[in-house]
Amino acid sequence: MSRHVVEPTIAVKVIGPPRWTPEPDPRVPHGDPTTLLTMDDRGLVTAFSGKVEYGQGIRNGFTISIADELDVSVNSVKIILGDTAQVPPDRGTTGSASTRTVGIQLRRAAATARQGLIDLASSRLEIDAGSLSTKDGAVVSEDGSASISFPDLLRDQSLTLEIPDEVTLKDIDEFRLIGRPSLRIDAIARVTGEAKYAQDIVVPGMLHGKILRPPSYGATLQQIDTARAERIAGVVSIVQEGDFIGVIAEREDIAEYAIETIRARWEESRDTASDWNIPALLKERSGDTVTLREAGSTRLALESALHVFENTYYVPYVSNAQMEPSASVARWDDDQLTVWCANRGPFRERDSLAKRFGMARDNVRVIAAEIGGSFGTKTPTVSYEAARLAKVVDVPVRVAYSRAEEFGWSTVRPAATFELSSGVDNNGKLVAWDYAAFHAGENPLRGQRGADTPYDVVNVRINVAASESPLQAGSYRSLGGATNHFAREVHMDEIAVGMGLDPLEFRLNNLSHERLRGCLIAATDKFGWNSREKQAGTGYGMAIGYDAGSFTAQVVEVSVKNQEARVIRVVVGFDCGLVINPDGARNQIEGAIVMGMGTALWETVEFDGGRVLNDGFARYRVPRITDTPDIEVVFTGSHEVPSSGAGEPGIVPIAAAIANAVRDATGTPIDQLPIAPRL
Amino acid sequence: MQLKVNDESHEVAVDAERTLLSVLRHELKLTGTKYGCGEGNCGACTVLIDGEASRSCITPVTSASGRDITTVEGLADGDHLHPLQEAFIEHTAFQCAYCTSGFVISSAALLTRNPNPDDEQIKAALSGHICRCGAYLRILKAVKSMSDQGSTE
Repeated sequence: MSRHVVEPTIAVKVIGPPRWTPEPDPRVPHGDPTTLLTMDDRGLVTAFSGKVEYGQGIRNGFTISIADELDVSVNSVKIILGDTAQVPPDRGTTGSASTRTVGIQLRRAAATARQGLIDLASSRLEIDAGSLSTKDGAVVSEDGSASISFPDLLRDQSLTLEIPDEVTLKDIDEFRLIGRPSLRIDAIARVTGEAKYAQDIVVPGMLHGKILRPPSYGATLQQIDTARAERIAGVVSIVQEGDFIGVIAEREDIAEYAIETIRARWEESRDTASDWNIPALLKERSGDTVTLREAGSTRLALESALHVFENTYYVPYVSNAQMEPSASVARWDDDQLTVWCANRGPFRERDSLAKRFGMARDNVRVIAAEIGGSFGTKTPTVSYEAARLAKVVDVPVRVAYSRAEEFGWSTVRPAATFELSSGVDNNGKLVAWDYAAFHAGENPLRGQRGADTPYDVVNVRINVAASESPLQAGSYRSLGGATNHFAREVHMDEIAVGMGLDPLEFRLNNLSHERLRGCLIAATDKFGWNSREKQAGTGYGMAIGYDAGSFTAQVVEVSVKNQEARVIRVVVGFDCGLVINPDGARNQIEGAIVMGMGTALWETVEFDGGRVLNDGFARYRVPRITDTPDIEVVFTGSHEVPSSGAGEPGIVPIAAAIANAVRDATGTPIDQLPIAPRL
Repeated sequence: MQLKVNDESHEVAVDAERTLLSVLRHELKLTGTKYGCGEGNCGACTVLIDGEASRSCITPVTSASGRDITTVEGLADGDHLHPLQEAFIEHTAFQCAYCTSGFVISSAALLTRNPNPDDEQIKAALSGHICRCGAYLRILKAVKSMSDQGSTE
């Protein structure tokens, strides 16, 4: 006897633009209406977003918001992320904007569905919609006399609802889940090894590709001999297209071995840039300056200021060094390309692949796998390399980077040099602030984030220039935010020390920004700043920061012994408005602090003429469990203020706070990172 | 060659110079064990060999033959997660979780030889692992919660 299986059918579709902001932002259009949320006739909710999950917990955040707005259990909400054939177009998961713009739109979609269900129930029960509400997956009447479950309401329905301009979202007191600590919904797959990252994707029949890497950036191929590689059993094809050389083999280890047998002669670039001379080169090689803000006259104010402080700061290239090296599988079906990869911008990746192969973008499908860390990068070329190789053999090909390839050929956070001049009056008030930043990389926008000063100063000039980069500069948690903050906040302490002022008092005396003041006061109170005890080898420092719509202040205790600095304790004041998932936000902030501590103390990409020299964890020191300080987070935001980013802002002030604390402990000014070699 | 993984015997025909990691991931499709650096520096590839935490990326497959190998896939007892896996979930001791299987495996080995580790012992046992998302404080608390004096603070 066979059992007839009835597939669930879609009963409600909610359409609207994929993003929403309270005030229209012409730079970030909301996008064309598409399907954002569906409910099937069994009450299962599916929401669609072009965002991707790389550990920041957005799937969890979206699920909680939707479950709360719709009064369903978290188990009946499914989120589809990052498959360009299924989800609305998206500019990429960057700028800590997921919750701010997309999360809120999904909440609005859920609220629209909820209202639709109430309207359906109203006509079914013949009760005025105003006397109905939702509870536990059902519409219920206020007096409790009538109730009808969502599946009962949805049977044989086929509704399309458009999100109206005005949507009433639930009030904070009505939330069951938002704002309470919550567990990761996808946690089980992550602790059992079930979660499939890009490195783990297996497509039936796939072969393994490896690329022959030049010895350095800018090297050009002169001569090549692949004869030995061709004779290796298991090698399927050797691809040579100009300087692009790849081996396709039945197994990854065979492809790796075959690559090693290839003899190649390269002409290397004669660029003399290295991590030794780059601080000065960044200024010499900079392009046009963008003035972000200019008010009053910094020149006149500096001339007449009673106290003038001038210094140059430098922050080196650092590697994202996420745990999962980049990987991608590409498959061609006639003129259709499908790529599985860990990319934080699947639509951008789709468009870029379409452009590279000269095809219509609808013929490219990018499916985001679980991402084993990103912080802004996954090597941008890995999918293209896989697709190029797959096209030659017409079977799916996987390309997975080694750690050395990841260190050598992925993008790095741009190095930056800063020149700062400030003037202060006898009351410790800033009267002039002249800031010039030179950020490596062709993209001038990267260096602009966080460049402006939040302190009160009438005569101010903020200049940012992009500078020719010997390494492949790319995105990193907060982009230029963390580097700009280092220069500004270390300079603020130099002024305080020079004037004999307490760094907290000096900052508060020049800071009227309410949310930043709130963070700073909360963090220093919790830390016990005013009762700190000065001991030999111990130092205390602070810094404030803003990024992605959020604000933070961090206060740090370090111990410096035998030329080694350790961060002992970090107290964080953090204002990201309404906190959707406090534990998730705290996890992000702790992670940002640990990561930023690495950039403060040890991390720097060593290079010489386009050759990365420290391409392994043995020579690129990152924080380990033995390095981790105590971290306390105080949320200071108002529930009334819409949520802003939590993934990036935590990193922006930490390096400066640590540098300021090390100076406090040792008396040695820290104007360059990393700190460890300078002790 | 015979490989005994998660209490199951597998006959694999592989080159002697292949790493255990490569065979686990590509031949046995046990992708819970991760490639992180290939040099034994990051701990993402950690498995138990006869109960000891070992870096599978620098272990020749031949040296693991005939021994008891446990990967993250073999920790749970059917639908019942290993208590350490529960503890990692309870403390959200991860973000991207790419490093998680390695941390869980090394912690399991630690608890077997020392059921009551203090903070310093836990840190020492896990110092060969990298979590780039920086979830270390949570990992420490998760493992600590398993020790006999089980404190979550």
